[in-house]
Amino acid sequence: MFEDLVLKHQDKIYNLCRHMLDNAHDAEDAAQDTFIKAYQNLDNFKPNASFYTWLYRIGVNTCLDYKKRPFWESLLRRSDDEEEYNLDPASSEPSPEKIYESKQLGLVLRKGLSRLSAKLRAVIVLKEIEGLSYEEIAEVLNVSTGTVKSRLSRAREKLKSQLKKFREQN
Amino acid sequence: MRCSKALKLISPSTDGELTEGDKRELQDHLKGCEKCRAEMEEMQGLRQLFVNTEKFEAPYGFHARVLTNVKTSKPDWRSGISIPVRLAEALTVLALIAVGVMSGTLLVKSLMPENAGHEMASLHLDVFDSTPPGTLGGAYLAMTEVGNEK
Repeated sequence: MFEDLVLKHQDKIYNLCRHMLDNAHDAEDAAQDTFIKAYQNLDNFKPNASFYTWLYRIGVNTCLDYKKRPFWESLLRRSDDEEEYNLDPASSEPSPEKIYESKQLGLVLRKGLSRLSAKLRAVIVLKEIEGLSYEEIAEVLNVSTGTVKSRLSRAREKLKSQLKKFREQN
Repeated sequence: MRCSKALKLISPSTDGELTEGDKRELQDHLKGCEKCRAEMEEMQGLRQLFVNTEKFEAPYGFHARVLTNVKTSKPDWRSGISIPVRLAEALTVLALIAVGVMSGTLLVKSLMPENAGHEMASLHLDVFDSTPPGTLGGAYLAMTEVGNEK
């Protein structure tokens, strides 16, 4: 039965961790830890609650714990963003200008996400990447919907200003 | 509606989280305000970027690794311990450290010879004096001190 739950939710939890953390190794470790913690705490799960919001809560908290780890642990792991960010505009594979710009904007977005505080990042990932409603995000993060709304606005403003800077520079 | 309120409503409006009243008011405001319209367009542009964001799938063998780790993992026995018990644990550790420090101090004192303190007191402090009495500087200082006493 637990195997079915893992198969059903693994992509969503991995995707969440991948967007909450800056490298694939940490994301996989955090996603693994999420399922292990869920397994160990299945007795605490209340059947009237939604299983995936409960799982998301464990996932977000696990990612927040990963972000609190000492900096030298992160130094040992390569940030995927660094390499991707240095895309050569004159790449050997010619691609239309628009595709290139869209790719660049995607990278700017990821960079912008990595610069957000963990709380703002969690709320924007849950909304924009995972597609949760305000109520679901509030349940996952254990905050009010008003807090979700204000954090989301702040996160979007920060990302917008990063994109604006990028457009001005290019 | 003022621009400050309109700007606050732009983010939730793109999520469809506005009341009918707010939605109508915002639409009316946007019709006449170019600045807020530009903000709305930027917000929609940002949201569009997320639509194109890469969706990651769990790596190959992920679920098998989870099941293996679940079988070998041990339950977090500390998670069941309440905060008062953890506090008591911390206080016990601190008390043990204090007892260790105190007993160490007493042990050092008991091992020192009884007259060690007298020997130290009998040492002449002149050895630490930068201008001992026998030197020219010492003689000068002695003279000036005598003068000050008067």
